[in-house]
Amino acid sequence: MFVTRKALPRRTFLRGVGTSLALPLLDSMFPAFAADAASGPPRLGFIYAGNGIVHEHWTPKTAGTDFELTRNLASLVNVREQLNVVSGLAHLEADTKGDGTGDHPRASAAWLTGVHAYDRTRPGVEVKLATSADQIAARVIGADTQLPSIELSIDPPMQGACDAGDCFYVNTVSWRNETTPNLAELHPRVVFERLFGDGGSSEERLARARVTRSILDSVLDEAARLAGTLGAGDARKLDEYLDSVREIERRIQSAESSGAQDIALPERPTSIPDTYQEHARIMYDLQVLAFQADITRITSMIVARELSGLSYPNIGVSNGHHNVSHHRDDPDLIDEKTRIDTYHVELFAEFVEKLQATPDGDGSLLDHSLILYGSGMGDGNLHRHDELPLLTVGRLGGKIRTGQHLVYPRHTPMTNLLLTVLDKVDAEVDSLGDSTGRLSPDLLSS
Amino acid sequence: MTSGLGYRVIGAVAGVAVLGAAIVLVGTEAGRALFDREASETMAETLESYCVSCHNGIDLTANLALDGNELTDIGAHAEVWEKVLHRLDGGSMPPLGEPRPGSDAYETIVGHLEAELDAAAAVAPNAGRLPLLRRLTRTEYKNAIRDLLALDNLPVEMDFELLLPADNASSGFDNIADLLFVSPVTMERYLGAAQKIARLAVGDPRMPTMVNIHRLPLELPQDEPVAGLPFGTRGGLVTETYFPLDADYVFVIEPGRAREIHEVELTIDGERVALGEVGRGSGGPGGDSRLEFRVPVSAGPHIVGATFVRRTHALDESTVRVQRRSRGTLPAIELVTISGPFAPTGSGTTPSRDRIFLCTPEVAADEAPCARRILATLAGRAYRRPVTDADIEPLMAFYEDGRNEGGFDAGVQRALERLLVSPLFLYRIERVPESAEAGQPFPVSPVELASRLSFFLWSSLPDDRLLELATSGALADDDVLVAEAERMLKDPRAASLVNNFAAQWLFLRDVEAKDPDVFIFRDYDEGLREAFMHETELFVGSVLREERSVLDLIRADYTFVNERLAEHYGIPHIKGSRFRRVTFPEGNPRGGLLGQGSILTLTSYPTRTSPVLRGKYILDNLLASPPPPPPPDVPALEAAMNDEQATMTLRESMARHRENPECASCHALMDPIGFAFENFDAIGRWRETEGGLPIDVASTLVDGTVVDGVEGLRALLLSDSERFVSAVTEKLLMYALGRNVQYYDRPTIRDIVRAAADDDHTFSALIRGIVTSVPFRMRMTSDAQPTGGEG
Repeated sequence: MFVTRKALPRRTFLRGVGTSLALPLLDSMFPAFAADAASGPPRLGFIYAGNGIVHEHWTPKTAGTDFELTRNLASLVNVREQLNVVSGLAHLEADTKGDGTGDHPRASAAWLTGVHAYDRTRPGVEVKLATSADQIAARVIGADTQLPSIELSIDPPMQGACDAGDCFYVNTVSWRNETTPNLAELHPRVVFERLFGDGGSSEERLARARVTRSILDSVLDEAARLAGTLGAGDARKLDEYLDSVREIERRIQSAESSGAQDIALPERPTSIPDTYQEHARIMYDLQVLAFQADITRITSMIVARELSGLSYPNIGVSNGHHNVSHHRDDPDLIDEKTRIDTYHVELFAEFVEKLQATPDGDGSLLDHSLILYGSGMGDGNLHRHDELPLLTVGRLGGKIRTGQHLVYPRHTPMTNLLLTVLDKVDAEVDSLGDSTGRLSPDLLSS
Repeated sequence: MTSGLGYRVIGAVAGVAVLGAAIVLVGTEAGRALFDREASETMAETLESYCVSCHNGIDLTANLALDGNELTDIGAHAEVWEKVLHRLDGGSMPPLGEPRPGSDAYETIVGHLEAELDAAAAVAPNAGRLPLLRRLTRTEYKNAIRDLLALDNLPVEMDFELLLPADNASSGFDNIADLLFVSPVTMERYLGAAQKIARLAVGDPRMPTMVNIHRLPLELPQDEPVAGLPFGTRGGLVTETYFPLDADYVFVIEPGRAREIHEVELTIDGERVALGEVGRGSGGPGGDSRLEFRVPVSAGPHIVGATFVRRTHALDESTVRVQRRSRGTLPAIELVTISGPFAPTGSGTTPSRDRIFLCTPEVAADEAPCARRILATLAGRAYRRPVTDADIEPLMAFYEDGRNEGGFDAGVQRALERLLVSPLFLYRIERVPESAEAGQPFPVSPVELASRLSFFLWSSLPDDRLLELATSGALADDDVLVAEAERMLKDPRAASLVNNFAAQWLFLRDVEAKDPDVFIFRDYDEGLREAFMHETELFVGSVLREERSVLDLIRADYTFVNERLAEHYGIPHIKGSRFRRVTFPEGNPRGGLLGQGSILTLTSYPTRTSPVLRGKYILDNLLASPPPPPPPDVPALEAAMNDEQATMTLRESMARHRENPECASCHALMDPIGFAFENFDAIGRWRETEGGLPIDVASTLVDGTVVDGVEGLRALLLSDSERFVSAVTEKLLMYALGRNVQYYDRPTIRDIVRAAADDDHTFSALIRGIVTSVPFRMRMTSDAQPTGGEG
């Protein structure tokens, strides 16, 4: 399917992001998605907020259903019935193995993989992680949509030196396979054009697709010929190319076969907004739109990357986030870090409230979604990879029991939670990274 | 995984050394060296007395065990010994407070280790590991498009930052082969970029309208003329941009609110094409805050200017603009939007079309041969090698397709689009010949070497001459290779060594991300930020172009300033926005990189200086000896100070920090260097006092050396000049190879530095050394993984 747009006034989009829901309601315009329309297809979101938290302000005091929302979590009050706070989980594979102190890069690398990221700058070490949970899910529930998944970020990628090893592990949480990270896109316009194309009528888009497909066929032949001439050596990079070309071919084929459709869409955003808040809102809105139009069912977004240098003057934090996270028990710094974390959850709460307010099948988008929010680091001050801050919002079509604070035994692998979630979307795998099984007891399933 | 762990040899050090034969020949004809028994014994005794109490197989401090090493075969354990050598050479071991051997012992051991390690490397060189395919970086792709298609300064809607994703970086460098991934997202972007670039280069009359938004930073004062715009104007935008077709374009100029009437003019290539008024009461075509002009412009690159016509006397606009230097006091142009093409009349004559269309078919029968000629030429340049029919046929198929739909030009455009997503263009490809032996380095082919050379020196494609020398095989000759490198260094494209290599090496791009606190540093604005960047680029460029020693980066007595920067530095009599070279009087502390605002600012916090960040920067970027990161639970003390510390000076509180031995081992290296800079504030202004107290800039290094102020630091760096030169070489080598530098590259670096000494360590001497080195000219088969580390 091609989605082509009839422009709505740009203000609808730019101003609409924010307090009230102003997204165009697309639902009625998508009769083509009848397959799952009754219940609404499952959607998964993975939102990463790096540099850990301050437990006192994150973790509810009591387990069960009667827990009180903490300072960090207060803004989730309106979705409380769809919320689970999950405590006790860990990513011990992110701990050092005597290979330097890249505690931060390893935290985001392990988040959806459960695999230790070795320091590639050392002799003989190569990039090697694992297919991340979002991508495992994308192979199943993303197979029929225009895009299997989208990966976003609102924190500029790290380019300079980081504390050890390779900085690039902090720039994404999504891995297509064990050697290829997915790129997290910052620019709303680029995301918009991936979702909705960059203009033109349906006929033009179809003609364009035909040209693109013949180009892909042709370069695929060329790459195959090339492979035969390389000789014995590391040709992984060619595999990445071939894999990417085939994936785009698949998308175009599936788009062509389902024909074109004109729908009303807001005008595309032009630039990265000046403020973090606007940036966050527009990127969250794009995820709502993508779910709503069923262009993809899997998203991930980094709202704060590990080692983030972002400061938040609008909430009174003028120091960089990572600096603040090393608070050394200084009450002022603890307060600043808590303000940052609370702010991130507030913007996230706006997102899930929009999902809740958007009709989908027999309920709301949120009813059919599961959004996992959290970090690969617990106590950021001490670089701990246990007691991870994690929460889920959404019932995933009734498969998830919600409204609870679940407390698991210390050092239960977070990958056990991911396995349980994957089961729920029929993307069962035997194991993931350091997983030791499904969550047990499974308090998540309804 | 760790080097030290995998490496523990049993036996007492001294005993082993004695067991060694009196004279052991190491190496073959290539690297024959005498085994210096006396030095070996000195080393054994010194290790025993000063090192193994921590670095032993039980304590394993820093994962390093030095007890029980086979001292007769240093080269067999190069990874460990290179690490030891690096620490000793920098004088950073033994740590502060521990007894140290005498300087004779240092020299003996350093000399001995170097001789042994270099001899071993000469016998069994290690070219290192690189993947067979390496994707072009975004910068390389951009430059390749410039050189292949004569396309530069693309419309902002086609900015490469939008067309293609950013690349991952390691130690600041974004051309590291392993980290240049391709995923479906990347592929989508390449497809989109190819379509847009092909239609721009050919001048596709059916191309859609673009809306190009040029936003001027709010923090850029516009009270003065802008370089490149005529005298008698002030502020505004001047930019070179590409107009896709002969057509009409709509220019919208949006200044901020003005109380008075101001004249605004639009110029193309310096000629006024439109004039209008803004301000209250003016009746311009777009109301009083916005001007709109529709102007015909010919296809190709043009310089667009949008600026205020200067009034003869100052008007009081002070209440309009915030009364702050960084905002200026007069109305400023905030936005210039260029939309088009509208009503196109043709593709026009452009540098791109001149470069692409080598022939113009008169009759239909000429078309296919002409297309073949055009495409073969493009493919040869784009694929950076002689092309075959197998390369051309797929392109011709796309030519035919496009030709049938829209004529000859459309055919070439379609084929070009196909070429730009070919793996042969997007990847630099090196092959392993069947004759290659596992574990043995073999030379890359001359054609592959040409690309290594051009991507190193130009961040772009080889030119025709270089490719011809490669195709004929002549480039395999050392003299030809060196002569080509020297020719290429004189070419304008070598500017990439400044704006790509040096900018990444020195983290210059971080200046853009820095936001000094506006209330503390009211002087800081966009104009100053740009001046900082420009100064350093001009300065590094001068050292490169004028064949100066890289030591001039530290010791030069000159720099480049405009009025804004001169004022900031306290240099009198410099007027206007043009940069010019100034020589500092003797005793002025500013000379060289250490006194430049860019580096002083990017190593500061928003509110104050950071001796730690500055010390770390010098160690990391200028000496290539990065200190280990802080342990998490005793983190950056200076991030903030608690109540008790607030009553102490920064220096006192840091001294307390160093009382903790765990902190001290590294801070003793960084802090004294950082304190030497304290006469420069967080935006690089000179100061004698802080908070009314005199600044103390003297500190003592681990080895007892006193560093007094930035002059003292400069003297320190120059006193062990090889260390700085080695660091520059290491950074250049990493950039040249596109991989992290490893222990087995150290003999190469030492070789290059030694050889360049005769030429006073000029950039070009270092570059000559690099391009003729083993890792630059050779590769190894992938099953010949270097030993000494494991994945």
